[in-house]
Parts: sequence; C-alpha cells; structure tokens
Amino acid sequence: MQANLKIQRYDPEVGEEPRYDSHQLDLPEYATVLDALLQIRDDVDGSLAMRASCRSAICGSCSMRINGEARLACKTLIANIVQVEGAEVTIEPMGNMPVVKDLVVDMSMFWDKVQKIQPGLLPKTPEPEREFIVSNDSMLDLATALNCIMCGACVSDCTVLEVDKEFIGPAALAKAYRFSNDPRDNATDLRLDLYSQENYIWSCTRCFQCVQVCPKDVAPMEKIMSLRKQTIEAGHTNNPGTRHTQAFADSIRKTGRLDEIRLTVKAFGITNITAMIQLIPIGWRAFRHKKMPHLLPKSISSIKNVRRIMDKLGNE
Amino acid sequence: MRYAFWPGCVSKGGTPELYPTATSVAEKVGMELVELDQATCTGAGALGEHDPKLVDVLNARTFALAEREGLDTLLTICSTCQGVMAAVNYRLREQPEYLAEINETLREEGLEYKGTLTVTHMMWALVEEVGIDHLKTMVFRPLRGVKIAPFYGCYILRPRYVLGMNEHPNRENYLEKLIEAVGAEPVDYEGKSKCCGFPILTINNDTAVTMVGNHSSEAKENGAHVMVTPCPLCHLNLDGYQPNASSKRGNNINLPVLHLPQMIGAALGFNETELHLKRHIISTDSFVEMSGIQRA
Amino acid sequence: MATIQHDVIIIGGGLAGMRAAHEALTQGGDVAMISKIYPTRSHSAAAQGGMQAALTEEDSWESHAYDTVKGSDYLGDQDAIEILCREGVDDIIAMERMGVIFNRDESGKIDARAFGGTSAKRTCFVADQTGQALLHVMWEQLLRLGLKTYDEWFVTDLLVENNRCVGSVAMQISTGQLHLVRAKATVLCTGGAGHIYAPSTNGLAVTADGLGMAYRAGASLMDMEGVQHHPTTLKSNGVLITEGARGEGAYLLNSKGERFMENYAPNMLELASRDVVSRAETTEILEGRGVDGTVFIDLRHLGRELITTKLAQIYELARDYANCNVIEEPLPIQPGYHYLMGGIKTDVDGRTWDVSGNNKWKGVEALFAAGETANVSVHGGNRLGGNSLLDTVVFGRRTGAGAVEYAKSVDYGEISEASVKDTEARIKSLFDRPDGVRSATLRREMGAAMNDGIAVFRNEESMNIALQKVRALKEKLPEVSLHNSGRIFNTDLLAYFELENMMDVAEAIALSALSRKESRGAHARTDFPDRDDENWLKHTLATKGNSGPEISYLPVTITKWEPTVRSY
Repeated sequence: MQANLKIQRYDPEVGEEPRYDSHQLDLPEYATVLDALLQIRDDVDGSLAMRASCRSAICGSCSMRINGEARLACKTLIANIVQVEGAEVTIEPMGNMPVVKDLVVDMSMFWDKVQKIQPGLLPKTPEPEREFIVSNDSMLDLATALNCIMCGACVSDCTVLEVDKEFIGPAALAKAYRFSNDPRDNATDLRLDLYSQENYIWSCTRCFQCVQVCPKDVAPMEKIMSLRKQTIEAGHTNNPGTRHTQAFADSIRKTGRLDEIRLTVKAFGITNITAMIQLIPIGWRAFRHKKMPHLLPKSISSIKNVRRIMDKLGNE
Repeated sequence: MRYAFWPGCVSKGGTPELYPTATSVAEKVGMELVELDQATCTGAGALGEHDPKLVDVLNARTFALAEREGLDTLLTICSTCQGVMAAVNYRLREQPEYLAEINETLREEGLEYKGTLTVTHMMWALVEEVGIDHLKTMVFRPLRGVKIAPFYGCYILRPRYVLGMNEHPNRENYLEKLIEAVGAEPVDYEGKSKCCGFPILTINNDTAVTMVGNHSSEAKENGAHVMVTPCPLCHLNLDGYQPNASSKRGNNINLPVLHLPQMIGAALGFNETELHLKRHIISTDSFVEMSGIQRA
Repeated sequence: MATIQHDVIIIGGGLAGMRAAHEALTQGGDVAMISKIYPTRSHSAAAQGGMQAALTEEDSWESHAYDTVKGSDYLGDQDAIEILCREGVDDIIAMERMGVIFNRDESGKIDARAFGGTSAKRTCFVADQTGQALLHVMWEQLLRLGLKTYDEWFVTDLLVENNRCVGSVAMQISTGQLHLVRAKATVLCTGGAGHIYAPSTNGLAVTADGLGMAYRAGASLMDMEGVQHHPTTLKSNGVLITEGARGEGAYLLNSKGERFMENYAPNMLELASRDVVSRAETTEILEGRGVDGTVFIDLRHLGRELITTKLAQIYELARDYANCNVIEEPLPIQPGYHYLMGGIKTDVDGRTWDVSGNNKWKGVEALFAAGETANVSVHGGNRLGGNSLLDTVVFGRRTGAGAVEYAKSVDYGEISEASVKDTEARIKSLFDRPDGVRSATLRREMGAAMNDGIAVFRNEESMNIALQKVRALKEKLPEVSLHNSGRIFNTDLLAYFELENMMDVAEAIALSALSRKESRGAHARTDFPDRDDENWLKHTLATKGNSGPEISYLPVTITKWEPTVRSY
C-alpha cells in the first residue's frame, strides 16, 4: 500500500519556524500511522522526534494530530483513513500544549491538571479487614473512566482549553469522576465541592470534541455531565452553572419552551449586579434590531402534561 | 417531502429572523412542514446536566407527536436541537427496554414513541433530499464573488456515531457544498468546527466571548466577507456578542453572520425584508450590496 | 556539574518501580523515581489477563506456590516462591485498598478467573486490562503522596566505586543535559528485554536497560536462557492476546479445526502452562497443521456479552490489527517473545549482592532490582501467567523497604565527576561519527537472529548461529551513526544506548542457553529433549568477563517440593 505522509517538523535548536516534510512510503496492508512513522525514524530520518511504546493503544504515548484530529498513531490504520480522508496523511503534534520538538509536546500542564483534582483514593474508615465489598456494576462504572490512558488527545483538541488555560480539562475531570463515584472513597463531598468550583466542571461548553477524539471511549464530557448532576444533587449549587441548568427546567415547566430573557437573568443570578448591568446594552442592542424575545411568552396548550411529566420524574 | 417540523425556541425568540426565512425557503424548495406546536424545548444540552432522563422523556414526547401526524422524518433548523434529538433518538432506538420505560411516562397523555422517526436538519435535507444539483437549478441570484466562512459548531458534527456520519461521511462538508451551490466561495479556517462558546455564556462569559472573537477574526483574516451557520445558538453568540468580542480584542471585527436559510434564500431571490436581514446585530449591508439583494 | 541526590533512587516507573517508591515513601525515606518515559507509559500497562493470589477459603497460598514451582519446572527458588504466594494475598488487598477496581463476584468480593497452569481459579483481574488498572492506581497514589519524579530522564550508566553502586548518570531527554545522580541505594526496575527479539509483545521502550547496565556494573544475570514465548500473539505486529481469553474458555484450533491441545496436555488442555502450549502450537505449525505460520484461538462460543465486557481490549486489538471479529471468527495467532524469566540475581529483598558475605554470586553493593529486570527467582524455567504482576508488587514492595533500610545504614559514596564527562565525551564522539549503519538495522537483525535461534525450540547449532550473529552485530556498534546531533529529545541517541544494552543482554542469553544442556521449562532443546535434575537442577549465572559473559552456577533452593515429572 502506498501512502504519502506530511509530517510537521520543528527543532528549537535550529530555531526555524515549523515546516512540513513529505514521505512516500510503501507499507503493509495493516500498517498503522505509527508503523509508518517508525519506518521513517528507523531508516529515513532518525532526527524525527516522537513518543511511542506499546503499539497497542494502552500506554498512551503516541497521540498526535492526524489529519487535524488528535488520535493514537498506533490505533490509526493508514488504509482506513486514506479510504475516507484521502491519500495524503498530515501528521502534527497535539494542540493546546507547547511543542518540544517535532511531534513531542510538553505535557507538564496536562499532568499538573490531573494533580489538581486530588488524585488518590482515600479509603473509607474503618477499613475492612479484607477487600471492600462492592458491586461489580459499581466497579464497571468506574472502569469507563479508568479506561483513560492519559494520552492527552482530549486535552489537545479541547475547544475550551484553547482559550481558557485555567480549565482543568476533560482528562483530569474524567479522572475526577473516577474518585467521586468510587463507593470506597472517603472524601466524596470534599471532592464534589472542589469540582464545582470555578475552572472545573462548569467551564466545559459541551462541544463533544473530547468524546469524538478519545481513543478509549472514555467520553470525558459525559463524565463531566455526570459530575454536574452529582454536584447539584450533593447540594453544591451556588454557582452559575447550576443556576443555568435549573433555569432551563424552570422555563420548560412554565411554558414548555425557552424563556430566554428569564433564563439569562436567572443564570447570571438576579443579584449579580455586574452581570445585570452588562446585560443592559446587550438587551438594548437586541431591542433596537427587533430581536428582543417576548417579555411574557405564551405556554404551549398542553403544558399540563409537561408539568405532570416533570413532577413524575421528580424534577422540581 | 413532508416533514414534522420542530423550529426550536430560539428561531422565534432570540433570532426571530430565522423562523420566517427558514419556512419560506422550505416552501420554495418543496419541503412541506408540519409544525409540532405542542412540542417542547429539547433541553439544549443544559437540562441534561441535572436531569438526563427528563431530556429523554421530553424529546420522546416530541417524537411521538411527530409519529401521531403519520410522519417518519422530523426536520430541525437548529443544530443544538438536532444534536440533542439525534442523541436521544439513538439512545431510545438502541435500548428497547429503556424506550418502554420512557413510554410509560408518556402514556397518560395518550402518546407512545414507537421508534420509527428519523431526525434531520434542514442542512442535511437540502443536500440529501432536495439535492445539490436540483438546488443549483433553483438559484436565481448566484452569490458570485462572495466569500463565505462556514461555521458548523458542535452539535451537528459530534459525536459522529449519533449523527449518522458513518452512513453519510460527507455531512462534515455540507456547508461548503451549499456555499458552492449558491455560487459563493467557501473560506476554510480552523475554527469552523469548534465551539462558538454560547453554552457557557452565562457561566464563563470571558471564554464565550473570546471564542466569538477567535472564530470571526480567523474567518475574516482568511478572506471571508460573511459567515454562515446552521445553528441559531451559534448565531446568537457569533452575531450578538461580536461587538463584545471586538471591544475585547480592540479591533472592529465586523463580520456579518447569516443563518443557513438566509444564505439559501438570498440565492433563491428573496429580498432583504424576506430575509429579515435588518434583525442582525452586525450589519449585513455589505453582504446585501455584494450579492445584489433587493433592498427593502 | 548538575547533580541530584536522594537516599533512594528508583530507576524505572513501571509497577515494580512505583510499588518500590510507594513503600519507600510510606516508610519515610528520601526517595525519587527516574523514568525514561512518563510512568503511566510503562509496559506494565500492557499486562492484560490478571494477577494471581489465593484469596478464597477453598484455595491456599501453598497450592499457588506448588503450581508456581511446577510451572517453573523446579528451577524457581522455593523460599522466594513461598514469599510471593503468601505475601501476595495481602498485596492484592493493599492494591484494592489503593483503588484498583478488581472485577467482583456476586457477593461483591474480588472475582478470579482460570489461568494457565493453575489448579484453582485465582487470577484476579480488571477485565482484560489488569496491568493498566494497577499501574494507574499506583500512580494516583504516588501523586497523592507527592513522590519526586524525574520523568523522561534516561540513565546511561551506573556508577560503581569499589564494587558499590554510588549513583548513576542520567540525561534529561527534553534538554539533553546530563546529570550526576547520587544515591545511597539505587533500585533498578527497568523491565525486561523486549526488543532483543522480533517480533515481540513488548513495548518499544522495553530495551533491557537495567539488565545491560547492571551487567556492565558487575552484577550477575541469572537463568537468562529463560525466555518466554506467549502462546497467543498477533502475527501482524506481535501484540499480545491475553491468556485470560483461554481462562474464560477459548479454544485453540489447528487448520483442521481440531482442539490440538488434547494431544499435548489432556488434562489442562488450553490451560496448560505457557511453555507447553507454545511448544504444542509450534509443533502443529511445523507439522503442517497451521496456516501461514499461525494456529487459531476461537472465542466464538463465549458469546458477545462476555467478549465485549471481560475481553473488550482483545476484541478491539483483533479488530484493529488483524481485521478479525472474534465474536464471529477464529483469530490467527502464533507464539511470540513475551517475557524474560532471567534477570539480575537478587535475594528476596531485592539486593543484587550476597549480604551473607560468602560471595556465592557476584553482585554490586547498594544496587537493588525488582520486577522483570530482577530474578529472585520465582518464575524459574517458565513463568505462570498472572504471576508477573504479583512479582512486581510483592518484590517491588520488599525491595523498596530493603533499599530504605539499607540507605539508613550507610553514607553517600564518593563519586567522581569524571564519569559524567566520560558520558559527555561518548555522546560527542557519537555525534562526530561518519555516516554508517542505522542502529535500527542492527536491532532488527539481532531480533531476527534471536527469534530464529533461541525461540520455542532450540539446539546447539541454532543457538551458536544466533550467538555468532549477535557477536558480529555487536562488533558493528562502532559503525552506527546518528541522524541527529541535537540535544533536545534526541531519540536517535537513546536508540543507540538502548541497542548497546540489548546487545550485551542478547549475548548473555545466548551463552546461558548454550550452557544449559538439558530441556527445562521454556528452554526446550531438541538436542537435549529431557530435563536432567541430576546435572542441571541449578541456576546459570552470566557475569561480565574480559571477553564477554562468563557462566557459573548456583544451586536451586528447595523447601517443600522435590522435583517430579511435570505433566498437564
């Protein structure tokens, strides 16, 4: 099989801007992007810097952007992407982290963020003599988060991290889920309090990018959504995120639809004077362009059924 | 083609220019829309943060309403509604037992979702049902010389498996195809498939506005005269908060942002009033002039 | 001169290294860990099927120990095996307490699956990614405890003064800067010898670094002929298909669709020990009942539910690398290099030197080793599946404790800065070499030679050819040139250092294998097909002499279990 690899190169010791090298390769049928890169590094250009080890999608070393999307090189078959995305395969380092050389990025920010969620199970006391007796399902639930191999793909392509470096990010929050949902952990409430603070769970925009790129089906965003639910249920509600989701429910209960004005006011918090003042010119702009939503929106005629459903599900 | 139609709340609320334009375009291209006036908000991704089951029930209710009309396809004009509904539909159709549980909640209203519905966005229907070639024959006023930056946002691209991308891999390029079909030139830029920032506008305003600035500036720097989006929520942010982004960046970005039906409508010969272009925060005058759209 | 200094320096961040660090840290030691890759990248993550320990009341550690002794073909030291199996029970509980999400049975206790060569279901597991689950939890705990780590630092040499290890020289890979590393105790946990063989189940990072360095520093490499070929690896890239698949009930089939293990191990069938199964597969293939050098593992009867939950990784690996849906079709597999039973000779506390002072074997004071790098020896001639993870945590812990205790009793040794200058000069001269051969070329040739000559079956002739080939390749080392003379993340330079380590170890494997004139465990000689307890119930030791490895012998420790005929 023929493939054309275009690889981004950057060597700070030379100090030039990043450039792209092209390589025409003849590869076996089941060659992965990693196989191709190793062939280049071994025989053609040993100066190519990259990380790789296990070759089987478990060590998390070889994540990089392949045709613009963060993937594991060892899990990406050249034949598959060439078929769908065209003959030229573009390889670049991960995003959102500084490049050390070629395809190697400095992941210290990544590890620092994992440290911030306070990793490490703190076993419940008194500790049992033997193992904790817990259900298999509760362990399987954690496995969906513990499948994470810390490859960094989600962080590379996180659209929030791109503009907000303080965001804890998808990988660390998937790890957070693993602790706050572990029935053996003794610090659940402290953890949930931490995770509901600024820069943690509520900074995610729900863009699904991490769900898309995760090579291990961890679906970090879904873990973040679960954490949001969990923190609210645990009473950590004094934050704009909770107010925002609660305002949705209120609006649907009232009219069946979104009451955008009340939603915005409630989400910011009516007592949030700064936000309220900032809303004035925005409201005025909308009004001037005849796009101010109704001040008193009408309910759908079957609203009683909607309210009944909400009552039945215990949504207050 | 007859569709059950869910316009979404914002198309009549925060972006009131969308609903009338979209319905006129639909009529013009031969889509018959049966609006579901008893349907509710989809939850827009936010409601699920504290009550995911409620999201499933409310949308199953909407699907059941569509089925009751004897229709098999539900058309949206909002990417967020599309994304949420597609995900719910995927969950319900994959898990018959769960669907039965959800239907229990609907029974009192005499509704049941049988799992027969397909949810599609007007953007997809234009390409897959109307067809690019047919659309081209309907173009009355080609938008020649207009450089248009597609802005997809998130919910119509991700996650792929929910949005039928395996069966329709080109769905990731439909905006470009449609831009070409109306005679304009698509502008490529990285931000086109990133988040607009709207979902956290009230939570982390700074991030949301920075995103607006990044995407609109990048599109503009790559030569775009105008941006087009299939999502009214993206529009709310990209258009409505672009002045904030401009002042944050200290330069006037001034990139008009169109709803997809407005771009189609412009090419089909709609005038400025029919396109409701005066209801934009960022003036669309330059676009009107460049495209030769009849002024009000 | 840039210098770092800690009482205990652990080299290697896999499960053994992290467990050693954890123990050293909780005992209050001044400890740091150096790893050439970020710890979670370590190859421990690739262990799939599980970790053995007799947790249930019906089972006993003695039974586990007997299975291990038998699996080792009586070459394992029984005092060490007793420790492994007895203390392993508490170590598994400790790992659970740290957060490992072991699969549970219906009562909520840790579940266990069957594994090869075991008389009870005692392999605890986390689906089919047990190693990853253990490694990440260990790492979480070390983050919590705040262990000082030097991630992506490569140790080039151990520093030995008067037969005592006083530290090492390490290069920070991201800058290329060399550092002098001073330690009272240095612990090697650098894993196996993976890429001496090609193909190999091992990660690219597994390059015999600790083995090579310890050998050059004067330690003994023991039973290096003990090279394990795993029965089920993928043909395309050598990747592992867990023994857990057979533990859950998968069959092995030949090209005629026969469960051929009936002919080799009528009682245990597919769950005979690894050496037995790999030999059976090789025989089937050699006798014409294979397809393209493979036989098949058949999971179909296990059903979708079991496969996608307990063997989910296998399902994906087969799909991605062999285009095979194991729910619907048998998967072609072959035996492939997997594990090194041999390693640096240590006592049960990880010490590489003989503390009795009797000099029964050559070692280096203050140098410790644990995990696959070491040989205590609990695996002897053949390791049972599920015993390597256990080895890492039991002896990782004991070695961490041993190192802290030792460090308390000594001062830092005198260390000369000249050693760093030597390394610097070596690097400089490597950069200055004229265009020559690629290190990858030599590595591949070595891999092929070892795989041809010293694999599942071997004999005098095949091993001699391999040895001569390796020696010829070793002589070419001075001709290797680099494509890169930069200091930042120069993996070409690392590949050269790694190759040097691997070549030394390959030579030791070949000579050890040639010396053992019998068949025992995985060392199956066609010219000496039988076990010979009278002459060969002893360990081989390879130590560095003036012109390569010198072989000597050490008695096997037998406590309870006298050697008998081994059949499955």
